[in-house]
Amino acid sequence: MKLNQIVDHCSLKKVVFLSDEDIKTGYCGDLMSDVIAHADNESIWVTVQAHKNSIAVALIKDIKAIVFTNNVEISMELIEKAKEEKINLFSSKNNSFQICGLLYQLLEGKYYQD
Amino acid sequence: MTILHSRQKLTLANELIYELKVKDAMTREVISFSEDSTFREIQMSLKKNRISGVPILDEKKNVIGMVSIDNVITALDHDYVNDKVKEYMTRDVITIPQNFSLVSAIKKFEKYKFGRLPVTENSHSKKMVGILTMGDILNLLLLSIQTIAEKVEEKEDRDSQLSEQLIEKSQEKPLRFEVKKADFDNAGRVASIIRTYLQRLNIDKKTTRRVAIVCYEAEMNISIHSLGGYISVTLEQNNIIITAVDYGPGIPDIDEAMKPGFTTASEQIRALGFGAGMGLPNIKKCADQLELESSMETGTILKAVIRIGG
Repeated sequence: MKLNQIVDHCSLKKVVFLSDEDIKTGYCGDLMSDVIAHADNESIWVTVQAHKNSIAVALIKDIKAIVFTNNVEISMELIEKAKEEKINLFSSKNNSFQICGLLYQLLEGKYYQD
Repeated sequence: MTILHSRQKLTLANELIYELKVKDAMTREVISFSEDSTFREIQMSLKKNRISGVPILDEKKNVIGMVSIDNVITALDHDYVNDKVKEYMTRDVITIPQNFSLVSAIKKFEKYKFGRLPVTENSHSKKMVGILTMGDILNLLLLSIQTIAEKVEEKEDRDSQLSEQLIEKSQEKPLRFEVKKADFDNAGRVASIIRTYLQRLNIDKKTTRRVAIVCYEAEMNISIHSLGGYISVTLEQNNIIITAVDYGPGIPDIDEAMKPGFTTASEQIRALGFGAGMGLPNIKKCADQLELESSMETGTILKAVIRIGG
């Protein structure tokens, strides 16, 4: 699934959008060690942890995009770091549960249909 | 996925048929006859040698005709099987020069539907140097692909081990990074640098990720729990060794610290998503070998060994 399709479907705000990556799956979590241990590569990550360390975690796990939910504040420093490391950043006023619901529908849709 | 795969293989064969020459594929020992031979003689030879056609040469080895199994059958049919071939044979012979690429040979096979093409010395000469069939071409292609595959395997064998020069260099001067206390903003820096470094050495993705996770968690541990320390990375032929050292205050109970979920991190640190009590368990999961020593006087030393490609 292309990032652009995800952005449209989930009504995400583009904060840093560098390349329309192919996304295979997603992960949701606010504990760095949990994400490091369990997120898949080539995935999209939903979290409220908007700090520079999130970029480090994304890099290690080959996570292609991060969605910051609950409208958390995103610092300029974080944006610069994301551009430097080529990680796509999005933001949403919705909470993680709502974003995950939409993402699940898109990425795992075949199990979702009634 | 399957379609893409077979296309990739075809690309390789495509490149090869342009690179390889007729002379690489042709058979050099050719059974041939003169125009004074009879169809009967040729029929015996075709049967004995299990071939489907022969070139007819003059005394200077120039190709002057072809006689195929079809021609022999026609001769049997019309009762001239004991006659000399010179009266009946195809004189308009399609040949191919030995320096032409296989792709032009394949085109000729397709166009004229012949089973075999006599190969000539060059494009101005009719002197025969060999004979070519589609079977010869396929044989050579398979051989070439096999050779390429063997080379790739050899290269992969070499790549999965690091060069001695590199190992020597890394042991003389190990990569060493200071980690400061409570420096969460820069945490992840060591993992990031090591990751880029290993990528440049062509270490496989999975190994690189495991090393990065160990570095990241060790870095966070030093940053959150200690007075500061350093991380060093050394290379061995088959292993990458990560050593994380801090200057105290030490872990009171290592067994407890290894338990998933056990944490002594403050509320403030946990709000940032750290200190979930998963650092050491994560390191343990990624490392092939883990040693952890801690003293309340001097601090903690963690040594993780990760097998390359393991």
